[in-house]
Amino acid sequence: MIPRPETGSAARALLLLLLFLLAAGPLLLLLLLSFGEGWFWPALLPAEFSGSAWGSLASGASGTRLLRAALNSLLLGLSTGLLASLLALPLGRQLARLTGWRRMVGSAAAFLPVAAPPVTLGVGLNYTFLVSGLGGSFIGVLLAHLIPALGYTCLFFMGYFEVYDDRLDEAALTLGASRAQLFRPVTLPLLRRPLLEAALLGFLISWAQVPLTLLIGQGLVSTLPLELLSYVNAGQDRFAAAGAIILTLPALLTLAVAGLAIKRTGAVVA
Amino acid sequence: MSGTSRLELRLVAVRFGREAGLSAISLAVAPGETVAIVGTSGAGKSSLLRAIAGLDPVAGGSVVIEGVDRSSAPPEARGAVYLHQTPLLFPHLSVAENIAFPLRVRRVDAMAIAKRVDEVLEKLRLGSLRDRDPATLSGGQRHRVALARAIAGRPPVLLLDEPLTGLDPATRAETLEAIRSALADYDPATLYVTHDLAEAGSIADRIGVLLAAEIQQIDTPVNLFEQPASAAVAEFVGFSNRITGESDGSTFRAGLWEIPLQTDFTGRAVLLFRPQSLYVEDAGELTGEVLSVAHSPQGPRLRVKVQGVELDATASRSGMTERGDARFRLDNPGLRIFAEL
Amino acid sequence: MRGTQPAYGMLAAFVVAAPVLVGIAYCAAGVLGLLGDTAGGSVNWSVLADAATWRSVGWSFWAAGASTFLALVGAVAVAALCRSTRSSDRAARALAVLPLPIPHIVAALVGLLVLAQSGLLARIAYSLGVVGAPAEVPVLVYDGLGVGFILTMAAKEIPFLALIAISLAGGDLRPVEESARTLGASPAELFRRITLPLLLRGMMPATVAVFVFVFGSYEVAAMLGPTAPAPLPVLITESYAGASLERRTEAYLLSLLALLIACVAVAAHELLRRDMFRRLPG
Repeated sequence: MIPRPETGSAARALLLLLLFLLAAGPLLLLLLLSFGEGWFWPALLPAEFSGSAWGSLASGASGTRLLRAALNSLLLGLSTGLLASLLALPLGRQLARLTGWRRMVGSAAAFLPVAAPPVTLGVGLNYTFLVSGLGGSFIGVLLAHLIPALGYTCLFFMGYFEVYDDRLDEAALTLGASRAQLFRPVTLPLLRRPLLEAALLGFLISWAQVPLTLLIGQGLVSTLPLELLSYVNAGQDRFAAAGAIILTLPALLTLAVAGLAIKRTGAVVA
Repeated sequence: MSGTSRLELRLVAVRFGREAGLSAISLAVAPGETVAIVGTSGAGKSSLLRAIAGLDPVAGGSVVIEGVDRSSAPPEARGAVYLHQTPLLFPHLSVAENIAFPLRVRRVDAMAIAKRVDEVLEKLRLGSLRDRDPATLSGGQRHRVALARAIAGRPPVLLLDEPLTGLDPATRAETLEAIRSALADYDPATLYVTHDLAEAGSIADRIGVLLAAEIQQIDTPVNLFEQPASAAVAEFVGFSNRITGESDGSTFRAGLWEIPLQTDFTGRAVLLFRPQSLYVEDAGELTGEVLSVAHSPQGPRLRVKVQGVELDATASRSGMTERGDARFRLDNPGLRIFAEL
Repeated sequence: MRGTQPAYGMLAAFVVAAPVLVGIAYCAAGVLGLLGDTAGGSVNWSVLADAATWRSVGWSFWAAGASTFLALVGAVAVAALCRSTRSSDRAARALAVLPLPIPHIVAALVGLLVLAQSGLLARIAYSLGVVGAPAEVPVLVYDGLGVGFILTMAAKEIPFLALIAISLAGGDLRPVEESARTLGASPAELFRRITLPLLLRGMMPATVAVFVFVFGSYEVAAMLGPTAPAPLPVLITESYAGASLERRTEAYLLSLLALLIACVAVAAHELLRRDMFRRLPG
């Protein structure tokens, strides 16, 4: 834009500092806490560093619990991501084709499971899950996670298909190809990226989920966030910090892709 | 010159794109005068306007408005209002509020604002749209509101960037009318960018031709169209027929062509003329062949080969033409000759 | 291609929304004692008369509103101040959005660690000589005002709103701002009359979304919120876990209330989006 004099450069510097703290601070703090020993009031830094918290966490009974929780979380996450992504593809595409008032209804429908507080969903659907024998089971929790995840991924694909140029398909169709023939050479390569992004989105939703797992899982399905919650409730701060770092790992590993996915969803939500 | 001109560009240089740029643009526009800037697409016309407005930096030279050098002034302090090609109305304000904007930011008192807004609404026939939401307006109406807003504050300089480009005929007419009304409201110095020569000719007092990063000629429409200053300008304003040859000072020769023509130079020369200057005539001196006939609203356009050169010509005075051998006449007054560089 | 066969689209809409609709239906049935685990019970409206319930609802509204407001301020600040292509501004924009995929529960933990009476902030205050002992530190977590909760949620939601604000400020707004400047608006006038109003307008739907997210958040409320008034999601779980039939019905009723609020938010969100769509400049 127009070259401007240095207005508000102090404000900008302060903002930059604040943003840096908000971005890097949490992880730093968690690392200090989980690797630190004897970090009592009023010390600003731990007295010494060791891997003992991580060690005790990983060993013995707590170790097996943590491992099981981690495995559950991973499996739940991957399954939710995969299912939410694959299902949202046709759903989102059809939703994107709606026009007028129907479009508003469609968009509201996709947003509803996203906006509905997970606690209320857990409460409202718990009996149904129990009666169908899914209460307290892995599958039950998976289905429960799928509810908000599908909302997010549908919004994502609605956003994607909003800008997808149907004319590409139309051009190929007028050249004589059938829809099925289009799929492999034209449609699939283009969809690879968004499918991956949507799956990641679904994964993150499931990975971080708390109330639905609590309510539908009936305490029988343990996940990482639930473990974290129990550490906090028991006052085991260092374990909690270690658990939090493990929880944050996927987010860190997939920053770039996650950002893009959320941007696309955000384009519809906004 | 500075005493009477409202806008003056002195050797202004503008950079745009990676390497392209304008090097030494100089011109002066008097109060009430409209100067059109024409040139090929991508020639830098918009960039020039943006630099004058202060939206992009000037790489050299100075922009002087009302006698004051504004080259390093921010856009709001220049007094040059820039109008985008698509009217950019403020969506959160009504039509009247849009128009009042330039007055409001200058803290004009409410009564004066109301009065001026009414005046301008009247002038551009927008009275009935006063409280409307800009999103509900038609294209033509949006253009008129943008113009109204531009002149509300009586800015010394108006910069119109291709205002009629891409409009359908009806909206074009409506907007052109509105532009005329707007410019007649007070005496702004107006720069009007377009790639349409006819449009420029109909609205501008002078036309500046921007070619090869320079203003090659700036003159009244009549002078420009009749007496282009260079071969490049001539080709730009419609002298599409081009023959390169030699001049010895009194005759032009090129292959089979031999035309008596006084020049003040000798050596390689390029002869230019409009298609209208070459026409089919049974008693014509030139022999040739009509290669193809294309019909246009302005009459048949012929592609011909005369004395070995392919040219554009027009039909005979009787309007009849067909392919094949024919004889042609060349109108000498329509010829222009330049030294070839 | 658009507008053809809307039946499929409507079917898709139904499929996605169905679980929530079933949830709502079941909560209603549960309240009325029509089904399942509250069958036979009579409608217990007493929880609606209980002042504690409304204090919880009020608290959740207040906390969600305050968090959303602060997040909005932060997002607008980043988008409006850090717009150039300077590397410091680009860094600011990237940093603002970076924390987006961090789980809420992790944010809650960090909030706890920083804002508790013996937390990091308190210790910094101690080293600056502002306080002497943990007891002297202002209570920011588990407090009635929800300051800890609000600050944590605001920080957590800034990335999402910033993403949208930055995209708006970098794109659609620029040409309109140019017009305004050549019309005579100084940078301050430009911000006040054009940039800020248009940014806020563009962000309205997302702001509504953030509000409803924060309103319904469980884990952060459980970890940082007060015990009385309990944040609504926490109140719901407590009621649900309660042994008696009465408490169950309470839980259904409160869930229904929360779902109703969510539906209103969804409707508002859709209306705002449609409104906005019509009003793009140019």
